[in-house]
Amino acid sequence: MDERAISLPVKCLSCNEQLTTPIVCDGCHTLYPVPQSADFFDLLSIPRTFALDSESLSRAYRSIARQIHPDTFGGDSIEARNLSTRLSAQINEAFATLRDPVKRAAYILEIAGGPSAIEVREVPGTLLGEVMMLREEIEQAQKSGDEAAMEKHRETITTRREDTLRLIADRADALWEASDEDKKAFRVLLNSIKYFDNLLAELQADPLAAGKDH
Amino acid sequence: MGEKRDIIIGIDLGTTNSLVAMADEAGPRLIAGDAESDDVIVPSVVGFDETGAMQTIGTSARAHAIERPTTTVHSIKRLMGRGFADVEQEIAALPYRVEKRDAATDRDMAEVVIGARSFTPPEVSALILRHLKQRAEKHFGHPVSRAVITVPAQFDDAQRQATRDAGQIAGLEVVRIVNEPTAAALAYGLDRKEDATIAVYDLGGGTFDISILRLEDGVFEVLATNGDTHLGGDDFDNALIALFAEEIRDQFGVEITSPTIKQQLRTLSENIKKRLSDRDEAQIEIAIGNDKVYRKTITRNAFEQMIAPFVIRTLDACSRAMKTASLTPGDIDQVVLVGGSTRVPYVRKRVAEVFNTKPYTALNPEHVVGLGAGVQASILSGIERDVLLLDVTPLSLGIETLGGAMGKLIAANVKIPCQASETFTTFKDGQTNIKINVLQGERELAKDCRSLGVFELGGVPPMPAGLPKISVTFLIDQNGILNVSAKEQRSGKAASIQIIPSHGLTRDEVKRMEQEAITHAREDMAAHHLIDVRTTLAFDLNKVESMLHRHSSQFDETEIEDFRQRIAELRTFAQSCDDPTKINERREAFNHSTLPLAERAMTAALSGSVATDDGDNIQAPPSN
Ligand SMILES: [Zn+2]
Repeated sequence: MDERAISLPVKCLSCNEQLTTPIVCDGCHTLYPVPQSADFFDLLSIPRTFALDSESLSRAYRSIARQIHPDTFGGDSIEARNLSTRLSAQINEAFATLRDPVKRAAYILEIAGGPSAIEVREVPGTLLGEVMMLREEIEQAQKSGDEAAMEKHRETITTRREDTLRLIADRADALWEASDEDKKAFRVLLNSIKYFDNLLAELQADPLAAGKDH
Repeated sequence: MGEKRDIIIGIDLGTTNSLVAMADEAGPRLIAGDAESDDVIVPSVVGFDETGAMQTIGTSARAHAIERPTTTVHSIKRLMGRGFADVEQEIAALPYRVEKRDAATDRDMAEVVIGARSFTPPEVSALILRHLKQRAEKHFGHPVSRAVITVPAQFDDAQRQATRDAGQIAGLEVVRIVNEPTAAALAYGLDRKEDATIAVYDLGGGTFDISILRLEDGVFEVLATNGDTHLGGDDFDNALIALFAEEIRDQFGVEITSPTIKQQLRTLSENIKKRLSDRDEAQIEIAIGNDKVYRKTITRNAFEQMIAPFVIRTLDACSRAMKTASLTPGDIDQVVLVGGSTRVPYVRKRVAEVFNTKPYTALNPEHVVGLGAGVQASILSGIERDVLLLDVTPLSLGIETLGGAMGKLIAANVKIPCQASETFTTFKDGQTNIKINVLQGERELAKDCRSLGVFELGGVPPMPAGLPKISVTFLIDQNGILNVSAKEQRSGKAASIQIIPSHGLTRDEVKRMEQEAITHAREDMAAHHLIDVRTTLAFDLNKVESMLHRHSSQFDETEIEDFRQRIAELRTFAQSCDDPTKINERREAFNHSTLPLAERAMTAALSGSVATDDGDNIQAPPSN
């Protein structure tokens, strides 16, 4: 785990209370803009690790959301209200990113200095051939309305996705000290998740989803 | 935080009915019209006279809907924040006149035309809001200036803005826009300490919302919302109306065109819907002119078949919401019903099936949103400190990209407040303006989404094409309303943004309407005042006339003749003069001059020379 110190006003500038999160004072509710150096883990005051338990993540999010939500700054200055809105948007983004294991892994890779999905577009060597074959079989099953075959594909792809996610989980917390080569390999794994997601979306194509706006 | 603030009221501004709530330490309560009546519902109906002066609001306005269909405005919420083209179909079903607003811009808006006056939908809604505001002020005994207003969860940015504009026109600062199903969940979960997953099924007059929330440690977290802004209990009524109209055509060869008969059919259909909730069949009878009477018996079974397609659409939305939240029916602990249409047994039955649980019905489905608005008001005023609401945006937000696609920036069902940034540049050398078409919706093509308006970035430094970098931040706030800011990256200077709303009012227009609303209210009040003053005068004159008649033996001929003549003169004067003060002055002078007469009549009566009757016992004149 990375042990970078959070560099920010450690004490509240208004009441001199010790700050437990970089953006709000527990004691007097003074808000602070997000410091440049702070990442999503800092924002939610949680350990910088992939192995998060979703219960404690939710609890951390709710506790901070409660303190900074604009509804609790109704009687304050327009600046305080605007800051609370912006901060809320930022912790909502932090929570949405860290809650989802794939997004969380990608985020850790990003802050660990790994390559982005634009820089490295590769997927594992055998994946493309595998995906092409699967896609053909799915199309066949869809055409013939073979529900059993569709269900079988759904299971296969879900399992493949879970296996890949397990590899990702195993390596994520080692990214901080990983070599460039390992970081690149991690990105390649992440890229393959997208292929599985696309296949699953094709299998679950919901004709109603498109008809939402009338 | 902490200091005592002005009171905030909570308002449920519905398509059919509206309510106003307050909240204090004792919790939320709905405010009734007067102390004697516990009637908290205000029908969202505004009655005008032929000139377009507002006359009545609520129950009394609704009572006149059948006699005065063209000057009685209902269902205005359906037109809020929408373009004329969007609502053309709905307008056909409305008995009052709606036209395309003649604005010198390319904005597309509808307006209601009554006599010589025209009203944008926010102006009509403002009349209802003002009525609710006054109801609250009467209750508190002091002015109220801030409100929470609820809207359907599926309302887009333009519809939310229109609601906020309506508040401002009514003299209310709208401190928060809350989604109706979320408000209902607040009311439901207020006294509950245990964690739970709640589905709120909200079938209103014109809109359908389904929201799924997680209630934990006093935090109400919306997990997913779905719905349809064009699906509601009105569709049930319309199905009945269409059936009746068709049968009348077949049986009598008569086409229903009269607004009065249309309105009668609507009222009958609403009643049938209610009756079939506890009976197996209902009859109607309607005179359609020329001694022809249409009679019909509708069974509950037939009614259910008629409404099934609409109910199934709501159930599909429920399934989509559960899927978004990654939940199955087994995860839902409670289903809360909102909206009058959820009283229909068939709706309850099907909802119970889709969630595999019996809906919670202890809360009045027509009160629960209003109460929730009260809870949110108490959160904002710092009375309720243990509860917090975390809502989501119902629709994806994006921009039109080259080639007319929708470039998504923020996905639907993302927690609000939320923000996204995008960098824009120029296509021509020296270009100093950039136009961005901002969209909401789930479709792939820009033309199939709602355009919120064109955002024009100004003050771009003249540079070769592609060099300027303008970073634009789109922020959706806790009200679900979009705020846009822009910065030129090289200079770090804020770029100016001018917003041309597609279907909304500009800030200046809203300010002007706020002023006009006050002037109109004064004019309308003055008109009412004049009528009242004339009525009082007529009452006084009649009284003197009858006294002269009954006590004629006490007065001499010339006295009587003199008074008769002055009475006639005053009557003519009252009709020709439209200054209430002058009329009142003349009335008072006249009354003063009759005092000796009244005394003589009284003395005579007391001495027993003349028998009095109850006719001139003192009565209170109509108040003015
Ligand atoms: Zn402090």
